[in-house]
Amino acid sequence: MQSETTKIAILVVLATLIFLLMPVFLIMYIRSYNRHKKNHILEKQHMQQQFEAEMLQARIEVQDNTMQAIATELHDNVGQLLSLTTLTLNSINLDHSDKATVKIENSLSLVNKSIKELRELAKLLHGEQIVENGLGNALQQEINWLEKTGSYELQVSNQLHNLQENSPDKDLIILRLLQEIINNIIKHANATSISFNAYYEDKKLYLNVEENGVGFNYEKAKANKAGLGLSSISKRIEMINGKLALNSIPNKGTNILIEIPYP
Amino acid sequence: MNFTSPIVIAEIMCLIGAVIFLRNDKSIFWKLNIAYLLLALLTEAAGSYMSSKRENNLWLFNSFVFFEISFIFIGIWHCLKNYLIPKPIIYVGLGIVYSIYFGFIAKDSIMVFNSTAVTVMSVVFSLYCLYYYYLLLNDEKFIEIKYHSEFWWITGVLFYYFGGTVCNLLSDVFDVRFGKSLTLRYAITIALNFILYSVWTYSYLCRAKQQKLQS
Repeated sequence: MQSETTKIAILVVLATLIFLLMPVFLIMYIRSYNRHKKNHILEKQHMQQQFEAEMLQARIEVQDNTMQAIATELHDNVGQLLSLTTLTLNSINLDHSDKATVKIENSLSLVNKSIKELRELAKLLHGEQIVENGLGNALQQEINWLEKTGSYELQVSNQLHNLQENSPDKDLIILRLLQEIINNIIKHANATSISFNAYYEDKKLYLNVEENGVGFNYEKAKANKAGLGLSSISKRIEMINGKLALNSIPNKGTNILIEIPYP
Repeated sequence: MNFTSPIVIAEIMCLIGAVIFLRNDKSIFWKLNIAYLLLALLTEAAGSYMSSKRENNLWLFNSFVFFEISFIFIGIWHCLKNYLIPKPIIYVGLGIVYSIYFGFIAKDSIMVFNSTAVTVMSVVFSLYCLYYYYLLLNDEKFIEIKYHSEFWWITGVLFYYFGGTVCNLLSDVFDVRFGKSLTLRYAITIALNFILYSVWTYSYLCRAKQQKLQS
C-alpha cells in the first residue's frame, strides 16, 4: 500500500514538473521566435532605408540629368540663336532700309525661336514634376529630347500615356532607368537607330529598348561594375522587384527588356 | 494564533514588491494587483488561522475563488486588448467558469471545496494564456519580452494554473502525506505559489521600468 502511494506521489510530482516545464519551453520558443522577428524587422527597416537612399539618389540623378540637358540646350541652341540675333542686329545699316527691314524680320524670327526654345526648357526645369504628369509623358519627354539631337532614327511605341495605375516612387526609378539607358547608348553604343517600346500588361510594365550599335560582352561588363552603369541599372530593377533581360551582340547592337511589377 | 504559512510569506513578498513598483502606476489593472494581493494575503492568513483552530475554512477559499476568477479575467482582458477586442471571448470564458462555480455551490454548498470550478478555471486560464502567446507571436510588432510586464504577468498565470492542473485533476485519487499536516497537494501548491508570486513580482518590476522610461 505504502509503495503504491509512493508511486502515485512520484507520478504526480513528475507530471507537475512536466506541466511546469512546458511553459518554460514555450517561453524559450517565444524568445527565439521573437529574436527572429526582431532581426526580420531590422532587416526590413534597413531595406527601407536603402530604398529611400536609392530614391534620393535617383531623384538627384534625374535633376542632374535635367540640368545637363538645360546647360547643353542653352549653350548649343538658345545661346547660338541669341548670338546670331546680336550679329544680325549689329549688321543693320539704317541707310539701306530694305535690307534693314529684312534683317530686323530675321532677328525677330530668331528671337521668337529663342523664346520657343526657352519655353521648352522651362518644361524640363520642372524636373521631378515630370513624373507627376504620368510615366508615359515622362518617358515621351526623354525620347523627344533624344529626337531633337537628330542623330538617331527613332521608332517609338509608347502605350503608357493613358495608364490608369500609378506609383510615384517606381515612376521616378523607371524614368531614371530610361535616362541611364539613353546615356549609355549616347556614350558607348555608336548607334544610328533606336526603338522604344513601352507597354503595360497583366499588372506588369514592360520597357524594351533596342539599338543597332557596337554591342558589348554582357558578362564582362557585368563583372566590371564600374563600367556602363549596368550595375546601377540592375540594382535599381532588383529594388523594385523587376527583371532585366539584356541581349547584346558585338557589332549588331543591344536589346534591353525590363519587366516591372506595377503599380 | 498561527497566521503564517509559506504561501502567506510568498504573498507578503509579492505584495511588498507590488506596493513598491506599482504605487504610482496610473493603470487601474496594475493598481488592482495590489488590492488583489492584499485580499489573497488576508484570505490565506485567515485560512491558516482557521486551520490551526481546526475550523472549516473552505467557505473562505471558495469565496476567494469568486474574486480570483474576476481578477484573472480582468488581467487577461488587459493583456489581450493590445491585440484584439477581448469582450466576446472573455465573456464566454467568464460565463463558463462562473456557471460551474455557482452551479457547484448550489449543488454542494459553499462549505465543500469547489474543485470542479477550480479545475475548469485552471484549464480556461491556461487556454487564454496560450491564446495570448499566439497573438503575441502573430503580431507584426516586435516587443522586448525580457522587460514586457504583461508577458510576464501572463506567464505567471500560466505557470500557476497549468502547473496546478495535474494536482487539480488527481486531487481526489491521492492523499500523500509527508508529515502531520503537509500533504503532497499542499507542497505542490506552495511551490506553485512561489513561482506565481516571483514571476508576478518580476512583471511589476518590468512595469515600473516601463513607466519610468515613459515618464
